[in-house]
Amino acid sequence: MRSRLSRHLQSILREDSTSPGLDISAKMLKRGFAAPLGVARAETQPAPISPELNGHQYAVFLLHVAAGIEHALMAQYLYAAYSIGGAQVPPDLREMVERWQEVILGIAKEEMGHLITVQNVLRLLSGPLNFDREDYPFDAAFYPFDFTLERLTLDSLCKYIYAEMPPDWTTPPAAEVKKRAIDASRGGPLHAVHELYDLMIKTIADASLVPDEYFRPETVKQQASWSEWGRGYAHGARGSSLQGDRPKTPDLIIRAVSSRAEAVAALKEIAVQGEATTPEMDQLSHFKRFLDIYEEWQKTLKHHKRFDPARPVVTNPIVEDSLGPEPPPKLSSSAADRNVITAPVTFYWAHLLNVRYRLLLSGLDHALHLAGVLEDTSQPTARGDVITMVFSEMYKIRSIASVLVQLPVRPDTPPEKAAAGPPFQMPYTLDIPQSEDDRWRWHRDMLVASQHILDVLAVMESDERRRGYVAALRESDADFMAVIDRIIARYAKQEVTV
Amino acid sequence: MKASALKEIRLLPPLAISRLGSAAEPVNNYNLVIPDDQPLGYRDIVPAPTLVVDQASGKITKREALPVTFKDEQGRIRPVAPFLELWGSTGGDEWVHLTESDVKGARIRWRVRVANIKVFRRTGDPRDRVEADSDWFHDHSRHELRGNAHNFYAGKYIPLGHIQFIDPTRGFPEIRARFTPAGGYVYGSNPFVQNADGTYAVDPAFGGYIQHDLNIRDVVYDPAKGKWLGYDEIYPPNQPGPPDATIPGQIFAGQANAKIDGSWVSRGYLDDECDGTVEVELTIGTKTLSSFARIGAGPPAFAPDSFPIRTVYDELEQALLGPEVGPDDYTIEELQAETEEIIRRAFETIRLMNTTIMNGNAFQGKVDVASTMVRQDRGDAERAFEPIMAPTIVDNLADRTLHQNIFATLRSGAPPWFMSVLRRFDEIGDLTDLGRRKMPGLMRNADGRYLCLTRRQREKIRLASQRLVSPQEERRAK
Repeated sequence: MRSRLSRHLQSILREDSTSPGLDISAKMLKRGFAAPLGVARAETQPAPISPELNGHQYAVFLLHVAAGIEHALMAQYLYAAYSIGGAQVPPDLREMVERWQEVILGIAKEEMGHLITVQNVLRLLSGPLNFDREDYPFDAAFYPFDFTLERLTLDSLCKYIYAEMPPDWTTPPAAEVKKRAIDASRGGPLHAVHELYDLMIKTIADASLVPDEYFRPETVKQQASWSEWGRGYAHGARGSSLQGDRPKTPDLIIRAVSSRAEAVAALKEIAVQGEATTPEMDQLSHFKRFLDIYEEWQKTLKHHKRFDPARPVVTNPIVEDSLGPEPPPKLSSSAADRNVITAPVTFYWAHLLNVRYRLLLSGLDHALHLAGVLEDTSQPTARGDVITMVFSEMYKIRSIASVLVQLPVRPDTPPEKAAAGPPFQMPYTLDIPQSEDDRWRWHRDMLVASQHILDVLAVMESDERRRGYVAALRESDADFMAVIDRIIARYAKQEVTV
Repeated sequence: MKASALKEIRLLPPLAISRLGSAAEPVNNYNLVIPDDQPLGYRDIVPAPTLVVDQASGKITKREALPVTFKDEQGRIRPVAPFLELWGSTGGDEWVHLTESDVKGARIRWRVRVANIKVFRRTGDPRDRVEADSDWFHDHSRHELRGNAHNFYAGKYIPLGHIQFIDPTRGFPEIRARFTPAGGYVYGSNPFVQNADGTYAVDPAFGGYIQHDLNIRDVVYDPAKGKWLGYDEIYPPNQPGPPDATIPGQIFAGQANAKIDGSWVSRGYLDDECDGTVEVELTIGTKTLSSFARIGAGPPAFAPDSFPIRTVYDELEQALLGPEVGPDDYTIEELQAETEEIIRRAFETIRLMNTTIMNGNAFQGKVDVASTMVRQDRGDAERAFEPIMAPTIVDNLADRTLHQNIFATLRSGAPPWFMSVLRRFDEIGDLTDLGRRKMPGLMRNADGRYLCLTRRQREKIRLASQRLVSPQEERRAK
């Protein structure tokens, strides 16, 4: 079942969303838990925390909200990054725009690192993991802005800057960026991510709210580590690999945590990576990197009035189970609307992306349920194999998204006018089976579904290069299904190392 | 064409690499083709037209595609025996493969000089150089290349292969020679197995008898003349190695002398690999034109349907064209194809690796069970013995699948995104966690440090990465 976060969001929502961050002391936080009837609350205090929660549950709840936000940000940043490009970008500006794409993809990767680190903290606190996020229709008000898959525009960029901005940002162009972000959100409330992290850090740091007994250091072996998940990305690896010595970017943060202090440090590190206001971190934060793009874009517009770095991908593309006979509604650029993909070939590519996205999410969940065994890894470990699967799926999502942004969304509209994009639709469930071998069968089911789609695309796709990709993907899936069969057979023989 | 009109001649290819093998018949010609229906599969070995030479007469008897096998019926490895063709020009850029009629009236003679100086490289004794010289010849018989050294027993030599001037015929009138390398044998300095301390090993089957050395084909090296048998290349612990040592050192057949720390004592072995030159002279009247090509003999290919991630071809391409790639040197499609080929070779390389062991993982509870970069990092730099990647993620099959997926992703037309994890040429000695985990992974280059792509290979991938507009979009825009 999807998380129902909005039930308990009152306590952390504030009416004045544009004021500096939530300055809440531990004492105030404790007072925030719903008091017995009749105790009045000052107007300026946040709403009480639900009587259904205790301190530990509240910490887990906040971590769930954080996981959902990191996941949503990641999907939106990926969408914006994949939209970048196209023949309308003037040749003399392509190097700059390529760099922007690399920067935004890098930030998306860092959001992925944040998401994984938040899962590690959940593991430490013996809470359930959360790979869910809000989808359409959007109903979790604490999210920085309404979940919208949209191309990179100055408006969408301003929303990203707003979400990642530090609490005390007032220097130019703060006012214009904030205004533009709020206008682009139809005037709806916006929130900066730091507010949530401040609250989360204070809650977890307080031993009277989350007593020591909830911290489970033995879960470290089930947590994700940089060694397994970092894949060699570190300083300067994002936004700086294509064109020489660009300003350095920070490490991909994936922290295994074994104590309260480590959990708090990891969350602080994530918060800083987002907003990073100190001079030494100036070039490193998401905020600053987005702002650099904004300023460079504004300068470019002085000389190229019609400059547009992104393809005309539609907002919020979705794909339905079948192509109905009725014509779909007109394409809309509103964040509140969804655009149904009806071009037949695109329809299958979009479904292919969804099924691979689901495989990625179930693989992530699976990986963090398996303990790493480091003493003797002379035979393959299920954890290693599932991590490999997750990375493979990331690559596939990248390539399928690259295909989708060049395909028509409607059969009668060329992609130069309106292109599709990766729909990133959430599956009906993110739960995975209980037993290990069934989890692998679960993954295999998705590969089989994917094979069916690829069978259709092998016939329908007319572009030679994309046909080549379909053939390669079919073969690669067949190979990985053989790996899965081998793992299931080992479970049957009780030989597996988990 | 008249011979007198020739201005220049060339022997092509300018570098030919043979492969050792003791079978009488060389490997037939073939092409490697990626099957259309299996883009991730093994390359198909497809027979290609082969010139069949009658060794006795030196004539080519036929040219046809023949079945390709790498061993003969007795299990002996078929050598790879390259042809060297004589090309000529009458001026300008036009070159032709010269035929018998083109050189009518001219005198052609050949000479081959090859050597194996591996022992000399260790001992520094010039008398250990094994050299062969065919001297000038113009007939069509096979000329054996006898590798002689001053420190050999009198009358002993190492056969380093043959050279044959192919006799042109009406059907095959072109001028060419063929180099056939040696059989791939080991030669020695002692018929018996000698221990590092100079004593002899006892035959385990016949106690009391000393053990014959069954590795060697013949005893050619005289230990009374040279010092190769028992030569000790000592690497004292915790001290720099000898200044002129190879990196890594001690890479010859040997054994440790337990009484001397860091010793490695030579068994006195030599092999029959070689390299050198083939020279040709064409004399017309008083005018003599000349050319030469380089030849070498390498080990057999035991995975002929795969290519390593970095090959001699990549080195030569970089030497010829430079480490930089200009923006107009390749089209987008060519860059993409080049990148795909490099990644294909990456997973072909992984197919041949035991990544779990090469990563330094423990095997059945034992650590440091093989010669790996992990061991080498410890030996060369006293780095802590620590696996390179996380031990859980180096399953060979999964790693292969991962690289195949990268290849498949490139197939979609997506530009490469992995520049930052490719090791740069100046990062081969980076022993941080991050540095050791860069790609290509787990492998050593000839310089003893981590393998990297050539700068030119990396540049191609970098330029392929810089692609904001897909080829399809570019086409549509035009």
